[in-house]
Amino acid sequence: MQAALHDRKIQLALLLLPGVGYLLLFFGGPLVSALIGSLRLDDGSFTLQWYERIFTRVTMLRGLQTSIYYGVAPVIVSLLVSIPLALLIRQNFRGRKLFNGLYKLPMAVPGIIVALMVIIMAERGGFIDRVIAPFGVSMPKLVRDEWGIGVILATVWKQIPFMTLIITSAFAGIPEDIRHAARSLGASRLNTFAFVEVPLAMPGITAALLLTFIGSMGSYAIPDIVGSPSPRPLSVLMLFEFGEGRFAQVYAMGMVLSLFAVVVLLAYYALTANIGVNRTKGDE
Amino acid sequence: MSELEISNITKDYGATRALHPVSINVEQGEFVTILGPSGCGKSTLLRILMGIARPSAGEIRLAGTRIDPLPPEARDIAMVFQSYALFPHMSVGKNLSFGLRMKNVPKPERARRIEHALEICNLMGLVERMPRQLSGGQQQRVALARAIVMQPRLLLFDEPLSNLDAKLRDTLRQELVDLHRRIGTTSIYVTHDQAEAMAMSDRIVVMDGGRVVETGTPLDLYRAPTRAFTAGFLGQTNLLTADADGARARLPWGQLVTLSAPAKGIARVSVRPETIAIRQDEMGAGTVTSVSFMGANALYTVGIDEMTLKVSQAGGESLIAAGSRVSLDFNGALHLLKDRDLPEAA
Repeated sequence: MQAALHDRKIQLALLLLPGVGYLLLFFGGPLVSALIGSLRLDDGSFTLQWYERIFTRVTMLRGLQTSIYYGVAPVIVSLLVSIPLALLIRQNFRGRKLFNGLYKLPMAVPGIIVALMVIIMAERGGFIDRVIAPFGVSMPKLVRDEWGIGVILATVWKQIPFMTLIITSAFAGIPEDIRHAARSLGASRLNTFAFVEVPLAMPGITAALLLTFIGSMGSYAIPDIVGSPSPRPLSVLMLFEFGEGRFAQVYAMGMVLSLFAVVVLLAYYALTANIGVNRTKGDE
Repeated sequence: MSELEISNITKDYGATRALHPVSINVEQGEFVTILGPSGCGKSTLLRILMGIARPSAGEIRLAGTRIDPLPPEARDIAMVFQSYALFPHMSVGKNLSFGLRMKNVPKPERARRIEHALEICNLMGLVERMPRQLSGGQQQRVALARAIVMQPRLLLFDEPLSNLDAKLRDTLRQELVDLHRRIGTTSIYVTHDQAEAMAMSDRIVVMDGGRVVETGTPLDLYRAPTRAFTAGFLGQTNLLTADADGARARLPWGQLVTLSAPAKGIARVSVRPETIAIRQDEMGAGTVTSVSFMGANALYTVGIDEMTLKVSQAGGESLIAAGSRVSLDFNGALHLLKDRDLPEAA
């Protein structure tokens, strides 16, 4: 026992145990058990049928497409709002402090509340509809519509603060001198932004994209409440399968969703490996 | 008409005034250093010249054209930053071509200018490197090349050597001087390092508290400063008062000296340590309180009549021990200052 403790390799293993052990137990464990569960029939024999169903059944395939759509579309809209917002926050204007505090508020609101809020506000016969009715206008169908506008609205509302927060700090991390250098070399504000600031903020921007994409692709409450009844995303279908007691199917769907998230993550690493991560710091 | 005319530029931040009316003229091809301690307004002035800060009043003309209302990109000015400010996501070559592309310089011309800049800045073979793969000295050379490739009317330097170690600083300082001699671009160099200012400049503008204190060649400012601040900031000095009557004056301990200009009553003088001769003398008025042997010279502090004087003696055969009685000889006329009040000896 004493001798074993003096062994360098054993020492290392013991020291790493709290960190690596935790990861293995609480992340690796469930993942592996889900993977095994997704490959089993009730009698315990091996099968790929649960995966086969995902890629052959129409509801499942459309569910996968919808999941990706619900993941990508809100992220694009959020990005288009967040970048200008991040630039606005950088400026000095009256009420900046108040705005700075307020815009983060949606982060604290649970998805289910946001979904219900969108229904109350934007559904036909909802709040906005009744306000504009006297003017002879009525709301287009925004909730449970086939384009998932309601889902996009609700998700965007929740994503923008988070994305803006990350992007703001990405821009703030660019040394002022670099901006000034670009200007003195003849670049207008716009060119400085496009050729210097955006590339340098890219690691932050892509991180924000990635995190919001994974969140919105896997979200359940919003698509279930304001999403179109058909097609439904995998997350919603998963709960349905769970209700039917087909756990192996639920595992398989979960694996497929996770696989997508991992692919996006790897793409992120590949994209950011070469840009702006290493900042010039001079000699210190 | 001067190449650069800075006329009555002021800068207020709220109620605090960072620059009192400042006027400086720079001739074409001149290398002018703005020297002063931190907070003296030199950086503010540089930011205004560059166009990233707006002056509160006054005007700036470059080659006769008023530039103070123009944005930075419309001025024919390039700047070398203390932090180098290279674009970290661009190779050396891309860093150099950035400005030229922004100003729509045609490609063959671009290539020619970049080639030239790389050569004179000693950067051949580094075109493909990313800034993070370069040493501090190389990065600063790239920053310099990036500025001169623009062939600007005016080059600005914001303490470009202060992030480098002492040895590299000396090398690059000499390279900068040589470079300026070769390309002859009108240059303004901001620093708080008096040695740098004296070694490099055609002319030095000394600033303090948002004001120009004094302007002159390094030699004039060192030998004949008119302000105690200049005397104290450019090298070491002894600031004394003397009771003047014409060209003759009496130092507080009774010694009679000659003044550089006639005065009446209490006169302020600056005496460089190396202009004082020290001599061991049992009857002398001073006492050596400490000796530092520096190699080429010895630096003595001498207590005399409740004052402390710095004396530098070069080429002495032997050192005078601390505690010895000494007498001081002032060779030549003592330099008269124009200040009304004498600050504490610097």
